[in-house]
Amino acid sequence: MSKIQMFEKPLGMRDSFPEVNEQKEYIRSTARNFIRSKGYDFIKTPSVEYFETIGKASAIDESSLFKLVDNQGEMLVLRPDMTTPIARIAASKLLKEKNPLRLAYYANVFRSQRREGGRPAEFEQLGLELIGDFSAYGDSEIIHTAVELVKVLGVKSFRITIGHAGVLTAILTNNTNTKEQVDSLRQLLVEKNFVGFEQKLEEIKLSENQIENLIKWIDYSIDSKSLENFKQFLTVDQEYLLEQVDQLQRLLEIQLNDPSIVSFDFTLASHMSYYTGMIFEIHAEGSGSPIGNGGRYDELFNQFNETVGATGFGIRVDRLLEVLPKTVSVEKNTLLLFHEGFYTKANELAVEKRNNKERVTLQYIESVNDLDAYQRSFDEVLIVSEGGSLRE
Amino acid sequence: MNELTIAMPKGRIFEEAYKLFEEAGFDLPKEINDSRKLIVEAPEERIQFILAKPMDVPVFVEHGVADIGIAGKDVLLEQLRDVHELLDLRISNCYIATAGLPNTKMNEIAPRVATKYPTIATNFYKEKGEQVEIIELNGSIELAPMIGLADRIVDIVSSGRTLKENGLVEYEKIVDISSRLIVNPVSYRVKRERIREFVAQLKNELNKR
Repeated sequence: MSKIQMFEKPLGMRDSFPEVNEQKEYIRSTARNFIRSKGYDFIKTPSVEYFETIGKASAIDESSLFKLVDNQGEMLVLRPDMTTPIARIAASKLLKEKNPLRLAYYANVFRSQRREGGRPAEFEQLGLELIGDFSAYGDSEIIHTAVELVKVLGVKSFRITIGHAGVLTAILTNNTNTKEQVDSLRQLLVEKNFVGFEQKLEEIKLSENQIENLIKWIDYSIDSKSLENFKQFLTVDQEYLLEQVDQLQRLLEIQLNDPSIVSFDFTLASHMSYYTGMIFEIHAEGSGSPIGNGGRYDELFNQFNETVGATGFGIRVDRLLEVLPKTVSVEKNTLLLFHEGFYTKANELAVEKRNNKERVTLQYIESVNDLDAYQRSFDEVLIVSEGGSLRE
Repeated sequence: MNELTIAMPKGRIFEEAYKLFEEAGFDLPKEINDSRKLIVEAPEERIQFILAKPMDVPVFVEHGVADIGIAGKDVLLEQLRDVHELLDLRISNCYIATAGLPNTKMNEIAPRVATKYPTIATNFYKEKGEQVEIIELNGSIELAPMIGLADRIVDIVSSGRTLKENGLVEYEKIVDISSRLIVNPVSYRVKRERIREFVAQLKNELNKR
């Protein structure tokens, strides 16, 4: 291992320079106003939690957790997601005060990177959770809000893909013999490894009928066949799952101005194991990975000894930044340089300009080494000296 | 508008893939074969080809600078990238195996394995319940057991000739390898119709074979 140099940061950690920071600030405030108008309240949670609780309940793989030990020897984690801490607060306190509960967050989360760079280990996430509602109205509200939010933030071209964890589990279970088979097939779908999926079917020696069913189901899903076509893969007492999807579909058609951005795909699977109902991903041109995802995760609350419906989504701010056009700052930056003995005068001028909503930097001229270079970072430069201010 | 960018591996796989594309009815420019250009357009098909090292194809696709790529399963297993694997193109077939000098056992104290595929080798021995030391090499892996650098190698075997000519024998087969059509997860959604058409056309040709 080479010695760590003074300029180095841990793998995956990133600085936000002023320009990017401003853009994030814009995203945060725009999103905040919009989300609050929908009746969601913002909350904050600690950056550090116990491994035993949040670390284990979170769907993020243990190998991605940043772990540390406190002075009592307890294992701690840097929060890897926000959904789990919010479930903790909701279950232990807030649900008793308000139910259903609408909460939102804008926070940084931590996931360690073991491979090469290119992926951040700390990033901001923006999301909301609707807790205490089992209905399709809740799901529809979440998807609709995600669509509107992404639009409000200025994303031009994007698509939503909706699946259903319950339907997926049902179809896989109906056509396999063991839980291990279901899990291995689901994992291949998470990776969208259709080649591996078909090979696996042969490998685990399913019956011809089972294989035929599963392949047909994949083809139907890829061709986005209508819901009717999927009935054959489900038993009578599983059909209620399709009815849920049907209701959601109808609600979205009413709510969305342009329902064509939404497509249903029952092969959509998530590595987040706590999803039980509808799940969705938001893909936008410009980012190689989904900018956001969400779903119904009633199961998570079992770990906090509560039975409530919960649904929500999160947007990755880092990926959003890749998608959004670079905003050109319209702000005017003024530099006020003053010579010895003109500090008071310069100060008065600065206050006057700041009161007019101008952005003013006040600088003693003798302290600047390279005056020409320094002046280039400003839109307007004024030098305060004898006889008033001079424009440059 | 609605262009597809396809990352193609240079070298042996390229020629087989090119033939497959042609037989599937794609109208590809002739110069793609023998030029030093790294980016080639196929305007009739609204496709842009990027020519890359086979190991780099999944990188381009994962980052989304290419929508689609052709990559060997060996590379995919080694790099574990976040890409969708849609089709087995059934070209460049071979397999990964362990090999070594005939009638030898692994060193008991510190068994050493030389390979170009450290992840695949590590996972294989882990699953077998053996802890080995991996030595990563970039080529001529067969040298390692001959000069006493390692007890075993983990490498691609296609005909087995290289092994034979260097006096090595194959011990265990690890996994079958062929070229796969991989797709970026976002392109898979955003350019859905276009990619579906493309895949269907290829699939059609593959089914004929």
